[in-house]
Amino acid sequence: MPLSAEKAAEVTSIRKKGRPRTSETAAPSLVEILNLIRSERATTRQALERESELGRAVVADRLQLLSDLGLVDESELGHANGGRAPRLVRFAERRGLVLVATLDQTAIGVGVSDLSGNLLTEHHEAADLTAPAAQLASRLSTLFQWCLERQSTPTAPWGISLSVPGTVPTLRDDPFMTATPPVLPAWEDFPLVETLTRQFGVPVWMRSSVETMTMGELHAGSGHGLRSMLFIKVGRRIGAGIVCDGQFYRGAQGAAGLIGALPVQSDGVTGTLDAMAGSDMIQREGRAAAETGRSSVLADLLRRGTEITPIEVSQAAQIGDPASVAILSKSGHLIGQVVATLANALNPDLIVMAGTLAQTNDILLAGIREAVYGASHPLVTRDLRIIRSQMGSSAGLVGAARVASEAIFAPSFLKDWIIQGKPILHPDFAAFCARVQQAKAPPAIAAPPSV
Amino acid sequence: MTISGLGPHGERAAPPERVSLLPEDIAAVKAASRRVAIVLHTLDGDWTRLQISGMLGVFGDCGVIVTEVVDCGFSADRQVAELDRLIAAQPDAIVALPVANEQVAAAFRRVSAAGIRLVLLENVPTGLLPGSHYTALVSSDNFGLGRMAAEGLAPHLAQGAAVGVLGFATDFYATNEREIAFTNWMQANRPDLRTYVMRFAAVDEAAHLGKRLLDENPQISAVFVVWDTPAMAVATQLNEADRSIVMATVDLGEDVAISLAAGKPFVNVAAQQPFKQGVVAAQTTILALLGGTIPAWIALPGIPVTRDNVADSFQIIWRKPAPRAVLHSLGLTK
Repeated sequence: MPLSAEKAAEVTSIRKKGRPRTSETAAPSLVEILNLIRSERATTRQALERESELGRAVVADRLQLLSDLGLVDESELGHANGGRAPRLVRFAERRGLVLVATLDQTAIGVGVSDLSGNLLTEHHEAADLTAPAAQLASRLSTLFQWCLERQSTPTAPWGISLSVPGTVPTLRDDPFMTATPPVLPAWEDFPLVETLTRQFGVPVWMRSSVETMTMGELHAGSGHGLRSMLFIKVGRRIGAGIVCDGQFYRGAQGAAGLIGALPVQSDGVTGTLDAMAGSDMIQREGRAAAETGRSSVLADLLRRGTEITPIEVSQAAQIGDPASVAILSKSGHLIGQVVATLANALNPDLIVMAGTLAQTNDILLAGIREAVYGASHPLVTRDLRIIRSQMGSSAGLVGAARVASEAIFAPSFLKDWIIQGKPILHPDFAAFCARVQQAKAPPAIAAPPSV
Repeated sequence: MTISGLGPHGERAAPPERVSLLPEDIAAVKAASRRVAIVLHTLDGDWTRLQISGMLGVFGDCGVIVTEVVDCGFSADRQVAELDRLIAAQPDAIVALPVANEQVAAAFRRVSAAGIRLVLLENVPTGLLPGSHYTALVSSDNFGLGRMAAEGLAPHLAQGAAVGVLGFATDFYATNEREIAFTNWMQANRPDLRTYVMRFAAVDEAAHLGKRLLDENPQISAVFVVWDTPAMAVATQLNEADRSIVMATVDLGEDVAISLAAGKPFVNVAAQQPFKQGVVAAQTTILALLGGTIPAWIALPGIPVTRDNVADSFQIIWRKPAPRAVLHSLGLTK
């Protein structure tokens, strides 16, 4: 259960007179030591003393406190180099769990990760994101509860991280979300962040799906260990995730990489990349090809009552239907032209194509590759790899988990909860939690019957 | 029949036709003299027998030698040991059903790191990725099976009835999907019902847990169990306790078919197609050995079975006549 604001204030109160308590002065060194252990830059006491430049007694004292809080584990022995084997200092990544979710236009994915961002459980199912937000929140909540029940060792969640299909404005100062940004029209006026905080009593973070998928690909996929990467997600909207010097680049407003808004031209028509090459165009052109009989494969599907979606066009192209191949080639070339511009500006090691169409279709990928190689400086493409993501929607879940673990252990946030041992005891969060508990909950909406 | 679930990484299903073999594929793999090992959770039961039968036929037709068929006895430790032994034996490919999640993930990573093609059945340990760690997953549409079971059970439930769900405690993709889909369908379509969920850690615990579920919730009038072997154990236990309830499950095992034909306690079964799944798994493995482009998830739809179609469904699924007891209950034989 979430902590009341009064209780939080009591446990975090700073002594006004006399010498400060050890717990008050220890926070900066605790933060430093914990993050050295967490990042595995130091895995023994000796390494901690060396990296932190703190004395042996201070390191021993802080490790004892971190151990008492359950945040580090010293039960494992390392390799001996002649003398006694050193005791390894490990981050207790199972101390808490992070609930993660990806909300896509046609599917939701949920999962549980440990505090290092390693995914432990995941599940994906079809969903309609244009449905009322209350219904979506209810399903999300049910699936989160299910994920928690599945854990063999009952462990409390420490945070919720959501991947959403739209730009999430940058929050420069807030360590966690305190309001629901208007990401989708169907969510207007629905307090999703506040509802989840009320139900689970943990901080919530929200990022765009392009950002979380890029983070996932960078940390657990093909981009692992790379310093420079471009991640392109192709769906109704087309977005780019940019990784420079190993860091995700968000831009001033968190809106970097909105390449779908760029104008492109094809067959004498000018429009945005989203409109000219996104999945809406593929669906529209596919339907027209079915109705006019230009595509015998799609026309046959239509006669049998199958709705022509981008998936049908993609599958038809994959088995060689000329009209479907032409539609996807056109999309691939237009996307490739824009991606080539970005590649020339950023000189990435790797370009990862993601989204259902890019991941299931060779023709789209071939069109993109052809356009990028044809329109880039030879130095840019000399060692450049253009691949499809192998992580699917898991990239979004892994990335969301990384977002939460980075936020939970960000030094500016960590310093105010580390003494209490859990982020839910952070005074700002405890106050926010108390506020949302008092606010009126939005009315629940039952899910519509499945078909 | 459409596929209603999503893959372990949210993938859209590819139909089995995507891995059909052409005469030139068969000729190419015959010329290559490949060896394959099959590693299963258990070798007991009709489901496994049919899977193996489907695979062996296709591998035989294509000149691929199956060097061994390993029984892991539902044990994660045993599966890890067997995989490590097989890595040393260096087959060209392994077709495997991971018995657990985290406990076996590292061993499966070692298989792919050793350059052995890996085709998974029914389950993917978390963190393993298609293309990097395994070629493809071949499974039933387990989400669809859960929905099918719920849809078939619903007409037998009175307004406001209580339904018990017995899930599998091991974190296993297939049984997770069935449980989620069953409860989701009921919540969406029969909000008047109450569901009570418990999960067994081992098959031999199911009967005891089923009894506990009903003892603690005597108002329960129907039970869904996530596959047939534990479901039959629960049915036997409830029969001995003289409890009258209706049941649904996944897989048309022989005993469940007999119960279905008799009209109680099973009223509906969502059946997998194990023989066909074995065929598709073998075809996928052969295309992987030839270096072809393989979809990450190939899914087979389930078959809804009731008393009305149990005899013919049995023939479709098991490739043999329905048991005499089934035919007798249906009045099809004397």
